Amino acid sequence: MERITEHPLLSFEHSEKITFFFEGRELLAYFGESIAAALHANGIRNLRYSPKKDRPQGLFCAIGKCSSCLMEVDGKPNVRTCITPVRPGMKVRRQSGKGEISE
Amino acid sequence: MRSVNNLDLLVVGGGPAGLSGALEAARSGLSVLLVDEAVSTGGQLIKQTHKFFGNEGFFASVRGYEIADRLNEELNSFENARILTEHSVIAIYPDGVPVVDMKRDTTEVLMPKKILLASGASEKFLQFENNDLPGVYGAGAVQTLMNQFGILPGTNVLMIGSGNIGLIVSYQLMQAGAEVKAIIEASDKIGGYQVHADKVKRLGIPVNLRHTISRAIGKDSVKGAVVSELDERWRPIPGTEREFVVDTICIAVGLSPSIELAAQAGCVIEYIQELGGYVPLRNDDMRTSVPDLFVAGDVSGIEEATTAMIEGRIAGLTIVEDLTGRCDQEKLNYLKETLRKFRSGPSSSKTRSGIRKLGGKVEEASFSERIECDFDSYKGKLRPIIECFEPIPCNPCETSCPVGAIRVGENINSIPTIDYSRCTGCSICATKCPGLAIFMFRENKDGTSSIGIPYEFLPLPVKGQYVSALGRNGEVICTAEVERVARSPNKTNLVYIIVPSEVAQGVRNIFVPSQEAETIVCRCEEVTVDQIRKAIKDGYKDFEELRRYLRISMGPCGGRTCRLNTLMILSRETGVPVEELAPGIFRPPSMPVSFKAIAETGVDDSEE
Repeated sequence: MERITEHPLLSFEHSEKITFFFEGRELLAYFGESIAAALHANGIRNLRYSPKKDRPQGLFCAIGKCSSCLMEVDGKPNVRTCITPVRPGMKVRRQSGKGEISE
Repeated sequence: MRSVNNLDLLVVGGGPAGLSGALEAARSGLSVLLVDEAVSTGGQLIKQTHKFFGNEGFFASVRGYEIADRLNEELNSFENARILTEHSVIAIYPDGVPVVDMKRDTTEVLMPKKILLASGASEKFLQFENNDLPGVYGAGAVQTLMNQFGILPGTNVLMIGSGNIGLIVSYQLMQAGAEVKAIIEASDKIGGYQVHADKVKRLGIPVNLRHTISRAIGKDSVKGAVVSELDERWRPIPGTEREFVVDTICIAVGLSPSIELAAQAGCVIEYIQELGGYVPLRNDDMRTSVPDLFVAGDVSGIEEATTAMIEGRIAGLTIVEDLTGRCDQEKLNYLKETLRKFRSGPSSSKTRSGIRKLGGKVEEASFSERIECDFDSYKGKLRPIIECFEPIPCNPCETSCPVGAIRVGENINSIPTIDYSRCTGCSICATKCPGLAIFMFRENKDGTSSIGIPYEFLPLPVKGQYVSALGRNGEVICTAEVERVARSPNKTNLVYIIVPSEVAQGVRNIFVPSQEAETIVCRCEEVTVDQIRKAIKDGYKDFEELRRYLRISMGPCGGRTCRLNTLMILSRETGVPVEELAPGIFRPPSMPVSFKAIAETGVDDSEE
């Protein structure tokens, strides 16, 4: 899990650098990236623990269809992090169980 | 919740089908709203880096992400068309369509006169132990991370499935810098186009047929995979388990149409295995059993982006006719005809049988299969070799040839034929071929041949550099000098290499040693392989000459580490077997000693 620095066909013009928080840790991302992509770029691919068997789960479809990437974002559970853009200061947490709405 | 009226057409999904349908409606002045869940429209096109198959006028030989740019740009130019991203259609009721603004968490209810559902497909999942471990991705997710966001999902990848997607994504992973350890295929033959398979084979990726993945290894994330061979009844054979050390498992076993909204809206649904699973019944205008609801693209049956775009346009034109009474019948017929031709080849047999079950009419057409080739009559002339042996719907070689030397013909599934008497050797076809199946070739007078290889990898070698010439399975055949590099605006560059003529027909790829990490042959004097090859080329064809010129084996080890390796390079470069080469002189001292040790002579001295 690393950023591709050179590619024979594509050039990745990253826009503005931003920071967000994962489990309280401040991480770097680029504006326009999905939350799940930004986490991958930081070496994190364990996104949640499954509701019944408490198994680690990660990104599977990355286009908002499979719901494997549900996380808690700014206190809101069950956010599809593969299609939700990361925004400055966002607080992202691994979700356990079916998620709880924080106060 | 707010209600909105006066909308002619709501398009659900901004992929190739949705964008194309929206465009046809917008061109006719209808008010169009296109809704997509993603941050930008383009659907899966935005992560397709390969050049598309298909024919002229339908973006053949254009890379997927460029097609998305063009469609988006055109739709944005219409004032009567609006695009809503980060919005989700969650249901279709007779009295309204709720659309959720995912950013604001609000809902609007739309009352469109017509709906085009182009919701695409979702990845098929595969059953094996630990299949939910982070690091097990659908092929689309790998493409999203890698080609859209520029993030490598992992370093070592096991690909499950050898259909076109599995083959294409394997190739793209290698382009992005990952290593694909193997492609696993349960069936006894490769599922995708032969040209795609050839591309990954010549990179050296093994394709293991009749194999399946039985387990992912790892606790929090993938650390490996267990693969087993299958028997005739598709059961794993005990004792054949093999472990792969990989950090990523990519599943490319197909797609299922995303029919949820269609089914919920009341469309008649049928299970048609050839089309990927449950699909809505529809006619050849793409109208479902709910008269105001149309489908196009993968939701109507898994196919590919070119047919999705054509289906979208057919649906769009029919909707225009429904609402305005005006119909561009000529265009509609042309589109249907193009679709029929596209699907008339052997590679579309599954699609045809699926569409027939839907009540549609599709026929197999005759196509020409054999290449009538007078390649050998034009020895010494730079000319293309077309290695396209399987009828697939594609003809950019024909349309790009400036002198009309290549012919595919009426049915684009036909195999191209080439008239070498007309060919000028311009090599445009080789850069345009989406399958990278065209190589340039010329026999030289000195017993060598020049081969132009379509090359889409980094680093790009430079003229005069030495590279390894690889065969059709990625095996090293010989060392080759780069004659020239022809850069192409579409980034399919041609690297011309010179190889001995007797091996030339087996050479189809190159391996470019990384420039920064030149490999060392002589550790003491730090002499590299490249330096030795250059010296040999400059005429130093004997070990003693190389030693004097490059200081090979003149260091403290006395040639223990480098002598044989140097002789082997010399043998490879000159064609003289090692046993016939002079090994060079072995000089004393055999180990480094100090001058003092040599000058002083033993016990007697110390006693004086």
